[in-house]
Amino acid sequence: MATVQEYKRRIRSVTNTRKITRAMELVAAAKLRRAQARIEAMRPYADTMRELIAGVGRAAGSGSVRLPLLQQRESPSATLVIPLTGDRGLAGAFNAQVTRRTFALERGLKDEGQSVRFVGVGKKGRSTLTFRRRELDGAFVGFTDAPAYADAQAIAHRAAELFVEGEVDRVVLVYNTFVSALTQTVTEQEILPISAEILETDEEKRRDDALRGDFIFEPEPEEILVRLLPVYVETQIYRALLESAASEQGARMTAMRNASKNAGELIDTLTLEMNRARQAEITQEILEVVAGADALA
Amino acid sequence: MADGRKTFAVSLVTPEGAAFEGEAEMLIVPGAAGEIGVLARHAPLVAMLRAGSTRVHVARDDVREFATGPGFFKVEQDRALALVDDAVSATDIDDERARRQLEDARAELERLDRGESEADRWQLEQRIRHAENQLSVSGRV
Repeated sequence: MATVQEYKRRIRSVTNTRKITRAMELVAAAKLRRAQARIEAMRPYADTMRELIAGVGRAAGSGSVRLPLLQQRESPSATLVIPLTGDRGLAGAFNAQVTRRTFALERGLKDEGQSVRFVGVGKKGRSTLTFRRRELDGAFVGFTDAPAYADAQAIAHRAAELFVEGEVDRVVLVYNTFVSALTQTVTEQEILPISAEILETDEEKRRDDALRGDFIFEPEPEEILVRLLPVYVETQIYRALLESAASEQGARMTAMRNASKNAGELIDTLTLEMNRARQAEITQEILEVVAGADALA
Repeated sequence: MADGRKTFAVSLVTPEGAAFEGEAEMLIVPGAAGEIGVLARHAPLVAMLRAGSTRVHVARDDVREFATGPGFFKVEQDRALALVDDAVSATDIDDERARRQLEDARAELERLDRGESEADRWQLEQRIRHAENQLSVSGRV
């Protein structure tokens, strides 16, 4: 049995650990609120962007379906998978569930006879991919707890480059969507080719347009659409990055709360055992004193 | 209106939030083919924007200037909407910081050319353009 001193030392160490996990929980909670505020902040931009694309798509007419980013390729032979992970661990299953899904997706695609390429986002994902000897077509790290729009642009640019050059026929994001601090769901989202659906609108919208009269386009709608589509991909990636950032903080918050709780339980058990050891020690001493007195008598 | 020009709704929106939202008398944006000035009751318009300076004339003597990234511009029914990558108010531009960002990005680009860096070339070029745009806007104020 350990001595009282040893128990004391262990309790002190667990108490210190609990201070750290508590602090991390609070930091994660603050960052989570910020991440959620940024998701809210981007909504007007994303919504107007979609409206604009639909409007310009209507004006451009059927010719737009031939634009490179909309090109649906028959029997795709290569897919680019972009897993979004965090730069840091200690966030429960957050990183692991993305990489697990990524490798499952890779197996599925390989069974179909496709080749799979990767772009890593987040240090954790990058290191897992390189550790498993996957070659990366690019890695973007160092921003995952507060992604900027410029980061999304850089990723979108690389993805579009590989797609347009014909290196890959599809681009898929794998990331955690934020449900609540307790739940994050891993999602696969195809971002390229862009689904032609975004150019379609209902009859009502078309009538609205007719009422409002014709827009002046400068330059031609087709030309504007060529620039709009990459921006659409950027906003999709930006939203995914923000979702992933919120999920990361949520997962970390929950993981750290559990860790603090476990530390508390551990401290209780250790304190109990320490008291038991102390009593045993006292009993032992009394026994020794009594035995000594007996021997003298 | 006797004492001023008619106003219309102006929104300057970026993915990171709205930079300006409110009524204004006139709006000047950097169109791809030259600056576009818009007053109330302008005809419906959709245009592309390049990086440059966007000026919102809220009132005759209240002009807000922003250094804006590339984007799109839409006018409909007395409502003008500029969707841009990024917008920094001219009063918030920190010349010192912008210059430092410019130098950092250029240095990183040189390291990349020598094969000593793994940074993304395109992203660095964007960062340079962004800093240059801020400096050119602040230089005019």
